[in-house]
Amino acid sequence: MSFLAKFTHKREMRESKDEIMVGEVVMLMAKKGCPAVGFRANMGRQIVTFKPQNDPLLHEVEITLDRKTGDGAIQQALLGNKAVISVQAAVKNYIADPDDLLNMYRTDMQNVLKIPLLGQVKLNHQMTTVYGTRKVIIEIDDYLPEKGQRTDKLEKLLDGVLTELKEKLAKFKK
Amino acid sequence: MSEEQDEKLENIFVSLVKRSWQYHEESLRNRRLDDLLVGAVIASNVRRGYSLIDLNSDGRNHFLRFEDLATQKRLVFQLRNLSEDLVTAKTLGQRAEVTIGYGEQVANFGKVWEAFKAEVKGVLADQGEPGAVRFDADMVAGYVYAQILLILDLEPYLGKGYQVNYKLLEHHLGAVTHSLAKYLHGRIGK
Repeated sequence: MSFLAKFTHKREMRESKDEIMVGEVVMLMAKKGCPAVGFRANMGRQIVTFKPQNDPLLHEVEITLDRKTGDGAIQQALLGNKAVISVQAAVKNYIADPDDLLNMYRTDMQNVLKIPLLGQVKLNHQMTTVYGTRKVIIEIDDYLPEKGQRTDKLEKLLDGVLTELKEKLAKFKK
Repeated sequence: MSEEQDEKLENIFVSLVKRSWQYHEESLRNRRLDDLLVGAVIASNVRRGYSLIDLNSDGRNHFLRFEDLATQKRLVFQLRNLSEDLVTAKTLGQRAEVTIGYGEQVANFGKVWEAFKAEVKGVLADQGEPGAVRFDADMVAGYVYAQILLILDLEPYLGKGYQVNYKLLEHHLGAVTHSLAKYLHGRIGK
């Protein structure tokens, strides 16, 4: 069977906007020295993991695109193409001793009720890793190339969020 | 225990932990090779002016579709890692089976595709060997594709760790696309 049959037929480019956005994010992160190393999709969300190269602080970055509106033509006309971009950056310490784990537990307790949708960075600890997450609500159309022409809006958005996450996470790197 | 002995033992402990992470990263990297390749192909094509419009996987094969939004020319990829386990990768190297297709929307699609039908029958006899340029069609969207199967050594593109040579990959993808476009134009009379 032809492998062309493996592609879902999308009648309108509207239905491909998530993928176009993912492609732009993958290219921009590659430009920053962060190749994509993992792709997942579930419940309409696209999740891509990136591995920063030559970055003394960040171990991994995970970017999730979660489209909230614009699935149908009418919804798109009324509400636009709203999506939440969630950027999670991870700092890893290669040896976790019991004192570290106690400190991490305290930070976790402080963050349990924090909802990062309002522009906050939420911190979360695992055994050897500290995660910082920042969520941004966007109108997808504002960030996509128009007639093949790109703007620097998406790059600026990613730069801003990553810089903020690095500032918050720097103190956890040993 | 003297301070010197204590330091020596601690150094051994630290080196064992460090080496454990190296082995862990090595095996993780091999498990991620499929997605590293998918990401490299996406970044290279987006840099070349194409937009990703479709991405899916059946677990073993990964399918990517791109469109140049200005000209509506399309590229399709089927990627399959041939060295999934670490032992194969270490002995044979990292290889992948890559099918690349270049497609254009054809105005008089019905007529053109009728003329191609004899060759489509040839696809049924395809034994999965590289090198044969085949033609295929997306009947709903009205695209005709020229496509080819290649077996690629990934090491020049994906170096040690997670380093990707995007320039080389872009250059090679550009060369394949260029040749496929020539084959397609030759057939549809452009």
